[in-house]
Amino acid sequence: MMERAYIASNKPLDNVNRYSKMSLAKPVMRGLLGKRLRFHLPIAFALSLMAAAAFKFGVTEPRKRAYADFYKNYDATKEFNNMREAGIFESVRPTGK
Amino acid sequence: MAHPSQLGFQDAASPVMEELLHFHDHALMIVLLISTLVLYIIVAMVSTKLTNKYILDSQEIEIVWTILPAVILILIALPSLRILYLMDEVNDPHLTIKAVGHQWYWSYEYTDYEELAFDSYMVPTQDLLPGQFRLLETDHRMVVPVESPTRILVSAEDVLHSWAVPSLGIKMDAVPGRLNQTAFITSRPGLFYGQCSEICGANHSFMPIVVEAVPLKHFEEWSTLLLQDA
Repeated sequence: MMERAYIASNKPLDNVNRYSKMSLAKPVMRGLLGKRLRFHLPIAFALSLMAAAAFKFGVTEPRKRAYADFYKNYDATKEFNNMREAGIFESVRPTGK
Repeated sequence: MAHPSQLGFQDAASPVMEELLHFHDHALMIVLLISTLVLYIIVAMVSTKLTNKYILDSQEIEIVWTILPAVILILIALPSLRILYLMDEVNDPHLTIKAVGHQWYWSYEYTDYEELAFDSYMVPTQDLLPGQFRLLETDHRMVVPVESPTRILVSAEDVLHSWAVPSLGIKMDAVPGRLNQTAFITSRPGLFYGQCSEICGANHSFMPIVVEAVPLKHFEEWSTLLLQDA
């Protein structure tokens, strides 16, 4: 009978890989939508508040100031006389007519 | 009057209209805030494949999206009610004018002291003078003293009409058999245009309103002259 050849080996007989140090991290598999919401919602609120502030200081406040400035030094008599001389009124004719 | 391609309100010529303008700006600011928020959320939600099939409820978010709209509504309601009550304040008018709608013209009655009444027809386009406005001019204007509280009693002789002058912030329905009251003060002299604002037949678009605000002295001279001519 032929003798079997045995190759000596120091490897353990189980299949656990004890020698490799490089492996992929486990990917994140839960809470992805929540994470997206937590990222985007504060930005959404901030942007909308900025839009409101831009409208307030770009439109609302200048309009209030425009009206206040218009009437601050408004001379109704002078304006009336100018309009009268332009002949736009029906109830009062330009001076001299 | 309005100018071509105008989007916003006409310039205010009365204190009430100024308040309405500022309130409209306030409400529009809130609308912009909500629209920006919703648009951003829509884009953020539409541009992802992520879903969560297992969300059933959340007390926290329910509380947020109940309280926040309630707060926004209060922020709109408070200035709105303020203006509403401002418009209804007892104002002790110096003058009362009746504006009566007919098909298709307005008539004005100044009956505080004497019986002064006249009709106000639209000036046809072919009869306009240079500088006058098409479909807005009338042959006789409603003359009022500037900066004087004036009461207008609006009614109609036939069908529904509506007496509206945007720059004064006035619109009041003219209902047959009913007297509707409104009041205004003009902040400055000038001409203020309006148009009938309730469908009333074929010439509904051709019965405009012109308010002419002049100093009291000239108003008195005008009314005296008109009474003499009558």
